[in-house]
Amino acid sequence: MNADISFKDALKKGALIYNPVLVQLVGLCPIIAASSTFIQALMLSAAMFLELTVVCVIASALFKNLPRWIRVPVYFIIGLALICPALYAIETYSLNDISLGMKIYLPLTAVNSVVAVHCEQFSVKNSVKLAFYDAVASGIGISAIFLITGAVREILGKASFAGISINLPITFKGMALPFGCLILLGFLAALLKAFTAKYHPQTEETEEEKEKESESVEQSAPETETPVEEAVAPDPVYSAEADLDDFLRSLGIELPEEEDDKK
Amino acid sequence: MNAMADSAFKSKKFNMRSVYTDYLIMLLAPCYMAFHYYGWRSLLVIAVSVASALITDTLAGLVINKKISFGNPVCIFAGAAIALMMPINVPLYVPVFASFFAVAVVMMPFGSSENAPFVPAAAGFAFASVCFKEQVFSYTVGSQDTVFGTESLGSMLMKGSSVHIGTANVFDILVGNVAGPMGTGCILLMVACALYLLVRRPESLLSTVGFIAACILTVILFPRVTASVRSNLLPELCSGSLMFAAIFLITDPVTLPRKNLNKIFYGTLCGLLCMAMRRMGAYEETVCFAVILANALRPIFDSAIDNMPKIGKKSPRKEVTE
Repeated sequence: MNADISFKDALKKGALIYNPVLVQLVGLCPIIAASSTFIQALMLSAAMFLELTVVCVIASALFKNLPRWIRVPVYFIIGLALICPALYAIETYSLNDISLGMKIYLPLTAVNSVVAVHCEQFSVKNSVKLAFYDAVASGIGISAIFLITGAVREILGKASFAGISINLPITFKGMALPFGCLILLGFLAALLKAFTAKYHPQTEETEEEKEKESESVEQSAPETETPVEEAVAPDPVYSAEADLDDFLRSLGIELPEEEDDKK
Repeated sequence: MNAMADSAFKSKKFNMRSVYTDYLIMLLAPCYMAFHYYGWRSLLVIAVSVASALITDTLAGLVINKKISFGNPVCIFAGAAIALMMPINVPLYVPVFASFFAVAVVMMPFGSSENAPFVPAAAGFAFASVCFKEQVFSYTVGSQDTVFGTESLGSMLMKGSSVHIGTANVFDILVGNVAGPMGTGCILLMVACALYLLVRRPESLLSTVGFIAACILTVILFPRVTASVRSNLLPELCSGSLMFAAIFLITDPVTLPRKNLNKIFYGTLCGLLCMAMRRMGAYEETVCFAVILANALRPIFDSAIDNMPKIGKKSPRKEVTE
């Protein structure tokens, strides 16, 4: 992602084109198992959004120099620190219906794969601003899918919306079950694919390029636990010199050409 | 998915229309029996279900820009089979949504009926069982048999009630004159259909043999009712849509394995899963769930069987050179 990317572009890519749930297929477990009503979906999406944003920003700001094997557990510890107050609040206000509906999946949000994937793939390789954009965009994408599936499953499966009953002549009890959510997610993914193919056909090429890039990184990376960004990041001295040269040129100062070229 | 689509149908290049025409001819017999027992209402349910499948097929073809062919025999078969597995008093929307599910969710996302990894009729009925359990398993219109009344054999076995088997009601059970699905209870007709299939496509009956053998063995070893083997075996085999599935669903050419040995194992797996779910599941009729599960597992045990070491074939000895 370029350094000058706008929030709008980040939102379009993170929330829609590369939607974490429908395209990257991460975070499926809580959606399938626990988002059978709109309220549960709202709670889970809020927890996920908060955790993703905070952990990604912290990872980008502080963890770039940490080894990978330390970083991932630290993400989960921070996530747990964020989720614990929510769990205590639910217990304090005795929201038993919600907590029972979400079962173990609210505490498990702390160790969700979405956070680890986004922190490792993006946040620790980019600036805090870009990490924040990416986290917010991905969080919105995940939350949207949570809310859509929660609403549709509750309406079709239980003939109610946010606990308010709706007069429907027929209810499909299967939609409240995990298989109903899987089918719904399949059709949503197909719709997103059709939308992307029609309005953003260039993203298909980008995906292929990404695959090639990841393959080349995997081939070049050593088998030891060296962080990925160390293998692919440019030499910091060289980039600092280049930046200084650009800065001086932008001020109108003429610089001599490189000696290697003259030789 | 490629492994799942690698079916008998694709490998042997059957003519789909002719194969399913055979199945539709066979389906005429249970349709007639449904009409004989329950009258015009049975034909209405079948017609509505088939119409739903065909309309869904046409609409789905328009959505995915596929060449539209009216009267797809696979859709007709799926719609009719779903209707025949329903009770006569089922609300009409149940077969409509079941057929819609079979075509829109099981067939169309995979491009066509030739690539469907699951038997559409089984998936449609399973969907109806989960979503409309009360409607699908309530048999308010019963049999003329005074012993059984409106209680189906499957329901009696599920409750652990022993079934009184006398000379009179054995015949009722065999001809389907008991409460149950409207078109799948007549075992004698199922045997006739099996004979037709034996003439037309004998290799597909291997899965049926494996299925019935597994069911019989399970009933003998693990009876649900503390009674004689006969009192367990006959109601188990004749209840619900078990025999119908053995003839019509398990032998589905699209999902059937290619090799004969694999066909037997596939049928056996279906039978074991079906009987296990009958004992431990929440539903009276489980054969459709078993078929779907076996469809999903088929590529795995296909490759496992293919990679098994051949018994009796000695590995070539290495020549010792001095």
